[in-house]
Amino acid sequence: MTDTRDISRRDFIKSQAAIAAASVAGVTLPTSLLAQAQDQAADPNIRWDKAPCRFCGTGCSVLVGSKDGKVIASQGDPDAPVNRGLNCIKGYFLPKILYGRDRLTRPLLRKWNGRYDKDGDFEAVSWDEAFDVMAEHWKKALKQSMDENKGKSVDEMTSRVGLFGSGQWTVWEGYAASKLLKAGMRSNNLDPNARHCMASAVGAFIRAFGIDEPMGCYDDLEHADVFVLWGANMAEMHPILWSRLTDTRLSKPGCEVHVLSTFQHRCYELADNPIIFAPQTDLAILNYIANYIIQTEAYDKAFIDKHVQFETATTDIGYGLRPEHPLEQQAANAGVGAKKPSSFEAFAKQVAPYTLEYVSELSGVPKDNLLRLAKAYADPNKKVSSFWTMGFNQHTRGVWVNGSCYNVHLLMGKISEPGNSPFSLTGQPSACGTAREVGTFAHRLPADLVVKKPEHRAFSEQVWQLPEGTLNGKVGYHAVLMHRMMKDGLMNCYWQMCNNNMQAAANLNEESYPGWRNPDVFVTVSDPYPTVSAQAADLVLPTSMWVEKEGAYGNAERRTQFWREQTDAPGESKSDLWQIMEFSKRFKVEDVWPPELIEKAPEYAGKSLYEILFTNGEVDKYPFEGKITDARGNEYRNHESRDFGYYVQKGLFEEYRKFNSGPDIIKKGHEMAEFQAYHESRGLRWPVIDGKETLWRFREGYDPHVAAFNPDVEKGDVYFYGNANGRANIIFAPYEPAAESPDEEFDLWLCTGRVLEHWHSGSMTRRVPELYRAVPDAVIYMSKDDAKSRRLRDGQMALIKTRRGQIKARVETRGRNRPPNGLVFVPWFDANRLVNKLTLDATDPLSKETDYKKCACRVERV
Amino acid sequence: MNICSCVVHTHPDTGAEVAPRLAALPGVEVHAGMEADKLVVTIEDAGDSLAADTLGALTRVPGVINAVLIYHYGGDDAAHPAA
Repeated sequence: MTDTRDISRRDFIKSQAAIAAASVAGVTLPTSLLAQAQDQAADPNIRWDKAPCRFCGTGCSVLVGSKDGKVIASQGDPDAPVNRGLNCIKGYFLPKILYGRDRLTRPLLRKWNGRYDKDGDFEAVSWDEAFDVMAEHWKKALKQSMDENKGKSVDEMTSRVGLFGSGQWTVWEGYAASKLLKAGMRSNNLDPNARHCMASAVGAFIRAFGIDEPMGCYDDLEHADVFVLWGANMAEMHPILWSRLTDTRLSKPGCEVHVLSTFQHRCYELADNPIIFAPQTDLAILNYIANYIIQTEAYDKAFIDKHVQFETATTDIGYGLRPEHPLEQQAANAGVGAKKPSSFEAFAKQVAPYTLEYVSELSGVPKDNLLRLAKAYADPNKKVSSFWTMGFNQHTRGVWVNGSCYNVHLLMGKISEPGNSPFSLTGQPSACGTAREVGTFAHRLPADLVVKKPEHRAFSEQVWQLPEGTLNGKVGYHAVLMHRMMKDGLMNCYWQMCNNNMQAAANLNEESYPGWRNPDVFVTVSDPYPTVSAQAADLVLPTSMWVEKEGAYGNAERRTQFWREQTDAPGESKSDLWQIMEFSKRFKVEDVWPPELIEKAPEYAGKSLYEILFTNGEVDKYPFEGKITDARGNEYRNHESRDFGYYVQKGLFEEYRKFNSGPDIIKKGHEMAEFQAYHESRGLRWPVIDGKETLWRFREGYDPHVAAFNPDVEKGDVYFYGNANGRANIIFAPYEPAAESPDEEFDLWLCTGRVLEHWHSGSMTRRVPELYRAVPDAVIYMSKDDAKSRRLRDGQMALIKTRRGQIKARVETRGRNRPPNGLVFVPWFDANRLVNKLTLDATDPLSKETDYKKCACRVERV
Repeated sequence: MNICSCVVHTHPDTGAEVAPRLAALPGVEVHAGMEADKLVVTIEDAGDSLAADTLGALTRVPGVINAVLIYHYGGDDAAHPAA
């Protein structure tokens, strides 16, 4: 039934929607529509508040409309500098991801005859029972680790417990996890799923600049004359950035777009210079560009003399596989990251073999396209921004290829100024803010500190009020190594939060699954939904997601953004933060520290880890008044603060700020504003100095650190203060082949990745009926020729096989992705077709990031 | 009920040409922006065709470069006309 009220309400909402769109587009609406909207006041029952989007690393701000405790509307935030009122299709689904029909509402434990049993079936249990059983396993493993570490120095300590976190964690969730694992349990086996997406980018930033994250910002999208996309399908994966880029391309005379990938995708519709290259040859193409710049003497000599030093990478470094793998045995320098000093002349000689002829032949790219690309970089009058994502990062030479792109920008001095920007994009909403800045990696501590350096540990121990020698100095197990260690029985407790690693990790058949189901391993998964990981776990904990908690994310342009808790989570769900803190109450310090360490801090004897880590006078410093009130008088809940009795998020953030903004910090350059400033702004880009954000780092006039580090700096000049000598490193790295290439038996390249409709493993997006219907299954994108020669037709079911496994999927030859002959692309979102049964767990030996883009496969008729 | 609005970028000077193609899709209305090649479009559920399906279909319409969502309402308090 429809009555007139419904129609008028619908028209009203429609007019509101049209006005929002017109205002973003800068277009005038017909007066009739405007009049209609003015006839009715805005709905007073909807409470609107800002929140960064839950999905990719762009960091769009959305306005979230809640009514009667439920999120019912969303709008691109017109006041947000990132998206300026725009929202991509995933924004449509933001409210819907909260309300999937199979949300978990109670802890589930595998049981048989009333007791925990790894081979039992899931039964609902209380939080108490869940944490009791979990703590029993963790205590046993921690006890064994303590026995094994007796008499060892901190640089030799190992641990049998680990936590696999997330670039989707809030900042304070990552920080609390780091405290629990590293400070409390003395385990460095803490790694985020960002290992699978950003580790290579991090490695290259540290090697070239001594400090993590991009120097530029999204404002480069309006300032550049030339855009180069390297292994980034921005149109589908970062649609809002793509929209800004499109605007510039269409409105700025002479602007051009170069798109490079191993297959054709939607970005090619806008490409002035479309380039499809053979997998792995991006290394050679970048060296060709460097060679072209040197041969034509286009390089910026003054910039190089003043701001750059040359180095060369150790070569033949293997593929990050198990040490007994033949490829590791053959490698002369497996895993060696050492760089050797070099010079401009030596660098020029090293890139000289990468001629146009050689690289065109190797890469399969026509000479004209390569030359056009090189000329764009080499033109001193063109501002060039390079953007890249997983094509560079998920690469067995990911650190090298990131670095080779910096080489090109540094040779030309095209860096750290509006429009000249080598820009590593992120795939997750807080890969930067949480995983990288908080340092939830096996080798890191907050604010670019590392566990290996005694002075970094000492500083962290002082902030965390720990006795000297508490922190473990040995790098822990990274993501891929965790699965190997579980399979080998050397890591016995594993807690996965806020990601879906059983589906995401490579080589499921040989490593992930045997590791998780090893009888000597206890696996806990915290998730809102029964994912592939949850189904493979021993204990599943129901989790509050996104606006069901107060949160903070840090996006790819160094912007930290906060949001408030907008709505309750279903059933007994609790945030990851609550879970980490509550679990810490189960451990007495005697369960985790040896007596000689407790003797150094006798006041801690008999205390719980919760007391030592969280009610330490800092984290519990700010009172909670029972509700959070914003500047407009709106009120919000905060379930963690309610349960713990103090403003948990504020306390954790302010303690975290001691690492990046305190007076005695070791590494300057990550400064952040105080807690409340973020609730009152649309985010701020660090370093934040005197309340002011920084748009372009390392350049005088934009970045106040430059003059502080180098008082003699000339106006507008750069200083790369992340390195002690103020210079950035140009590091030569050669082309080396992929870990596994097609051969007679497995004759095609297999590349995996995402599609627009499904974010990552589809845990959230596959539960939105419209999205599921739009793209229900993963397909095998392949060329018409390759399909024909295998007697396959479009839409036909086929078998795709590698040396590690096989799956069935339909062939797609006319879709949005058009691979060249010899390569197939299969998305990884589909829980019914686990493409990671096929992939190889080869990693970049330097960053330990898996190469999901290259292995050899075969496709045949079923 | 779903109602959303979006801005649709078309190839230069084709806004007026593309607008009727969009308007032919179920639940779609084009309100303005033909001259600027930035079309202001609303989409609502129409029969079996949910707004999201249509939203996804916009980028496949010839002449469309990009379609970005601006506003989405998903409450169940205003009934669907076909309900």
